[in-house]
Amino acid sequence: MKLLIGQILPYITVTLFTLGILYRLGRWAGARIVHNITLSPWLQTSGQVALRVGSEAFLFRNLFRFDKALWAGALLMHFALLNILVGHIVGFSFLGKQFALIPGLGITPELSKKMSDLLGSVFGIVLFVALLYLLYRRFAKDTVKFVTKPSDNLWLIYLLVLVGMGDIMRLVPDFHIEYVLVRDYIAALILFQPVVHMELLNSVFFLAHLLLVQILLIVFPFSKLMHFFGMFAERYIVNRVYHDTAPGLPNIEVATARKAGLGVPAGDAAGEGGVSCAGV
Amino acid sequence: MPEYKGMVQPTRASVAEMRKIYIEPVPDELKPEKAIEFLDQIRKKFRSFVLAMESCTKCGQCAENCHTYLGTRDPNNIPANRAELIRKIYKRYFTPEGRWFGKLVGAEDITLDVIEQWYSYFYQCSQCRRCAHVCPFGIDTCEVTFIGRQILHWLGITPKLHATTGAAMEKAGNHTALPKPGIVDTLKFMAEEVMDEFGVEVEFPVDKPGSDILYIPSSADFLLNPYTLMGAGMFFTYIGANWTIPSAVTEAGNFGFLFDQFWTQRGNVMRLLNAAQELGVKKIVWGECGHGWRAAKMYIPTLADRPVRWPLTHIHDEIANLICNNELKLDPSKNSKPVTLHDPCNYVRACGLNDNMRVIMNACVTDFREMSPHGADNFCCGGGSAILFDDPEMYRRRILFSKKKAEQVRATGVGRDGDGILCAPCSICKAQLYPMVEEHELGVEVKGLIDLVGKALVWK
Repeated sequence: MKLLIGQILPYITVTLFTLGILYRLGRWAGARIVHNITLSPWLQTSGQVALRVGSEAFLFRNLFRFDKALWAGALLMHFALLNILVGHIVGFSFLGKQFALIPGLGITPELSKKMSDLLGSVFGIVLFVALLYLLYRRFAKDTVKFVTKPSDNLWLIYLLVLVGMGDIMRLVPDFHIEYVLVRDYIAALILFQPVVHMELLNSVFFLAHLLLVQILLIVFPFSKLMHFFGMFAERYIVNRVYHDTAPGLPNIEVATARKAGLGVPAGDAAGEGGVSCAGV
Repeated sequence: MPEYKGMVQPTRASVAEMRKIYIEPVPDELKPEKAIEFLDQIRKKFRSFVLAMESCTKCGQCAENCHTYLGTRDPNNIPANRAELIRKIYKRYFTPEGRWFGKLVGAEDITLDVIEQWYSYFYQCSQCRRCAHVCPFGIDTCEVTFIGRQILHWLGITPKLHATTGAAMEKAGNHTALPKPGIVDTLKFMAEEVMDEFGVEVEFPVDKPGSDILYIPSSADFLLNPYTLMGAGMFFTYIGANWTIPSAVTEAGNFGFLFDQFWTQRGNVMRLLNAAQELGVKKIVWGECGHGWRAAKMYIPTLADRPVRWPLTHIHDEIANLICNNELKLDPSKNSKPVTLHDPCNYVRACGLNDNMRVIMNACVTDFREMSPHGADNFCCGGGSAILFDDPEMYRRRILFSKKKAEQVRATGVGRDGDGILCAPCSICKAQLYPMVEEHELGVEVKGLIDLVGKALVWK
């Protein structure tokens, strides 16, 4: 079992994850953007497009504008998730000493390790709580309940269990796992030099956490979690640069027309004047 | 009775009416299998549709932002759920997760009931794009209901209103089946009206060869909104334009956009291009019509079968431009009643007309009050995408769909003394709001924006 989950499955997972994502993105790319369905008001430059897509992707602009509670919950969840993903990579690679590597701050390796632990704990808890809120919302708010499918709730519960296991290893000293064990394990996997009896894989929590992550990655390309890519693909269609056709009518001389008194039955000359552009 | 298992549905076109628009209805027992076949063809073509099917996370934000849900509180009118009516089928037949996990991920087999559900709910959607505007990902339910309606049309299920309008367009060049002599007569009558009411001499040239400007009015302006067309006539006369109305296309709308983008919409585009070619015009200017302007501005470039030689602008663009250049003399005090502006959805979320409408408004009226929300955040009038059905069940729905709009208008206070103006510069908005301001007792008169321009022009 340890061998299967810890040493064999990871290779299958990475393969399926990669192929699955390519399959799904390929399915999207196969269909074309036929008509121009850009949303107005128009964005005038690529910079504005980048700003719009960026503020939607990283600050959840629309959620902020139309549903503050969802914005808070979703932003906290995704922000904590991002930090935890980065934290896993950086923390294990540098054994928690990453902050000491930033020049000029004078952080000692010991302090860095403490910071790493603290950040991990905080984001772990924030992520768990935010996920709980999102799940609560699916049951508490009628409109959301109406659109929820069983899989939507299952994903939240799945993530809660997955994050919960991580939090237990993070917060309960008895189940704590040393960074170095994980680093050596990952390094062995990457270098295709598996060690058969790794101490790390004796931890039930670690094994379960690892298994859940791998199942998640395998299912990821076929699930709603693909909205990470979907969001950018959709925004690429609806947020584009657009320039209006220039106004201006051919062969028009308003002043001449008014002097000639066009439309005025008696044929009097028209007066001068006009209304300024009031602006908005 | 236009109802199916408790769902409201608009009256359908008969077999004969479908044949007039070149569709042979599919027999009921074959409908489910044919629907899958059509869906498969179409999903391979439109990425906007595929992404709407595959990106939604069901966050539910669209619910409170859709006027049809706010008005009816029917869960299937939540945009995410409306799309789900087709997504459940899409998942079941075209995705691995739907095939393997079925109900768990919300996948479902297709049946005739599902198709009837599509007919009910896709024709309750106004295609106003407010859900796309508020969606964190920008998912556009419009792209879903366009395609749902297209499949229904190929199956032979189209509302009578849309099918007969499509047929009228092919026969007469407008939605009201008004023939050329009728158009010429109406315009003569209108010229007399302009003289009587405004003391202005206006001519409405039809098919005038060698014209510079081709003006495409909404056909509703000949009958229901005469002041809009009169205003346009006065505007073109005022600036001394060499303009004409083509008898081949006396219609700014394009219902093909709303039920059949493959044949009907494309056909209407070619018809327009032919007319422009024949009359040798230099520019095409569009009249007040929301969906029609979107269909023209945004879809002609990708639907035309030849290079489009004529720049295409909206009459609001041109009027606003002349106002900004100080070329029009307008007297706002001629429109002194309180006015509020209903932003047609297609103008503000699909055509970028937001600012220009306000330039015109501020120059033409003295007491302009904005609704809340307005501009791109505005709510639909409830008639969008021509769901202007008159059968009693659907009419009752229209009252519910316009509930949010009524609240907005009331909050501006323009109708408090019973003499307010609700400016709604779009033929479908006007057709929806004429009866709705009565149903909701708003104390306002519905008018177009060019109506106000025509009245405010200072001639000497």
